[in-house]
Amino acid sequence: MKPRRDDRWIWWRLAWRNLWRNRRRTFITASALAFGYLAAVTIIGIWRGMLSEMIASGTDLVTGQLQIHAPDYYPERSMYTTLGGREGIDVDELVRLTRETPGIVAASPRVHGGGLVSSGSETVAGLFMGVDPDHEVEVTRLLESPAEGRAPRAGEREILIGRGMADRLGVEVGDEVVLVAPASDGSLGNDLYRVSGMFATGMVALDGSFGILPIGSLQELMAMPEEWIHEVAATVEDPFSAPAVGDSLAVALAARGLGYPVQPRPWTVFQAQLAEYASLAGAVNFIIVGIIFIMAVFGVANTMLLGTFERRREFAVVRALGTQPGMVALTVVYEGLILGVVALAVGVLISVPVLYWLHNYPPDLSRAFGDITMLGSVWRPVLRAEYSVDGPVVSAVALLITSILSALYPAYRAVKILPADALADL
Amino acid sequence: MSTETLTDIAVRTEDVWKIYAQEPKDVEAVRGVSMEIHEGDFMTMAGPSGSGKTTLLNMLGGLTRPTRGRIWVRDLEITALSNKELARLRLESIGFVFQAFNLLPVLSALENAEFSLVLRGVPPEERHRRVRELFDEIGLEGLEDRKPGKLSGGQQQRVAVARAVVGQPTLVLADEPTANLDSHSSAALLDTMERLNREHGTTFLFSTHDPRVVERARRRVSLVDGQIESDER
Repeated sequence: MKPRRDDRWIWWRLAWRNLWRNRRRTFITASALAFGYLAAVTIIGIWRGMLSEMIASGTDLVTGQLQIHAPDYYPERSMYTTLGGREGIDVDELVRLTRETPGIVAASPRVHGGGLVSSGSETVAGLFMGVDPDHEVEVTRLLESPAEGRAPRAGEREILIGRGMADRLGVEVGDEVVLVAPASDGSLGNDLYRVSGMFATGMVALDGSFGILPIGSLQELMAMPEEWIHEVAATVEDPFSAPAVGDSLAVALAARGLGYPVQPRPWTVFQAQLAEYASLAGAVNFIIVGIIFIMAVFGVANTMLLGTFERRREFAVVRALGTQPGMVALTVVYEGLILGVVALAVGVLISVPVLYWLHNYPPDLSRAFGDITMLGSVWRPVLRAEYSVDGPVVSAVALLITSILSALYPAYRAVKILPADALADL
Repeated sequence: MSTETLTDIAVRTEDVWKIYAQEPKDVEAVRGVSMEIHEGDFMTMAGPSGSGKTTLLNMLGGLTRPTRGRIWVRDLEITALSNKELARLRLESIGFVFQAFNLLPVLSALENAEFSLVLRGVPPEERHRRVRELFDEIGLEGLEDRKPGKLSGGQQQRVAVARAVVGQPTLVLADEPTANLDSHSSAALLDTMERLNREHGTTFLFSTHDPRVVERARRRVSLVDGQIESDER
């Protein structure tokens, strides 16, 4: 006669009750796993938070997280390779369509150029970016709060320059500078611009050679019609999803029948070093979580092995009564699994308030370490944990696998017990 | 060879040996035992410590394998069975009563007693009915929900007997079942087993050197140095 299915519950019942025979030991073992879970989700959360902060600061300053260009804009970055070619585009329509794409928060058009900035006898080479000031602040934060003065206003001949450039030119806010840049008609554009403000990022290259103008002013300097733009920069809801959003944007724009090709480039392409660092950090994350749970495996297995040795006689009895060896092993595995589920429940209970605290009231270490400049970004060392689904889920799966793995060797030992020897206390 | 038919014979052994490899000399725990146990026997296997009683009992119950020789339970040669088949045999045909009771401490008296029925897949109502009837019969009524730790030694051993007989096995092997009991509990336990033997025809084989058990037996085998010295009815 085959055992009925519902009779298998006897083994779960046995496992459950055996687990609570030594409450203190079970509590300590479950706590070890629960704190392992807490450590894993916290480390993942903080790492993710730090990465988000790095990505945000690396992309929020100037680049944005997603850029749309003409397909052949890179690497030459010719002033003539505008979106829509020499015909140009309906800029407002492209920006609107981009903003409507799911996952995109804001978008703003841009023109890029390069030339010289002079004041008196001082001249420095500079890169210029023409932006729509009203929309650019939704994409990047260089215009948000300049170190001095204010952002340039649309329609005005104003420029926001880095403090390094201002120092080299010997200018203050309100002074005039001369911009000289190659124009699209083959001439050399030049004009006077008032310094509306200065930014100070701490990044020498950016502070010393970069200037931001209203898009119309730069187009005028470079003799470009207003339909000519080089780029639409966008910011996305989740920086990690930027490549996927870029792909869906390309599909969505193609489906709208724009009549000109576009190529979205996520930050993982134009900030490749940052992307590689994010991947490396993810791998390190994985290794740390792995180490946590591997350590837990040995601890839990040791405890379970102890429990198995203590119950040698009981395993012998159930074997003598006709229990198949595999069922004895399964009971020990059930114990491990139940222990894992209990530990997971405790782990989730203690992790939620900790993550909430780290997300909303993160410890700020900038007083101790100051701001950190790294990989084209200025990063504040704030231990802010980022919420995510995969961190807790991966940790939960790891915890359950850990608890099952921990039970395998004790289960094997339980099966290897010789009933006659165990009953004779040999 | 006995003149009885195979169905009358619960267990038969043929030149069974058990030799433990040890330095400097192997230990011959059981030496060429050939015997038959008949259905309904109520017999003891007595002998001093080290005479091979428990070893022989374990071999008859399929808990350990003989070094050589053959054993049959009814018409099934158990020495040719795999470990899985032996487990199935123990479940369906052998009941064990151990000296140290060996109830599972996390299960109640009822759950302990019905354990083999659970393994056999007997429906809950049926197994509860059978255990309760047995408990009434052997004086354990009202103790169904008690854990072993809350039962006296005599009560625990009666639960162990209930566990051994509830599945109506071919043979119940009891290894020193009274060794941990006072004389009153021993007498009560023997009364119980005698009644089960008489009323249900359950075959009992006791390994013991307790004279109170030997006195009650209808057949007495004496084992000395791993060999049968006498077999009295």
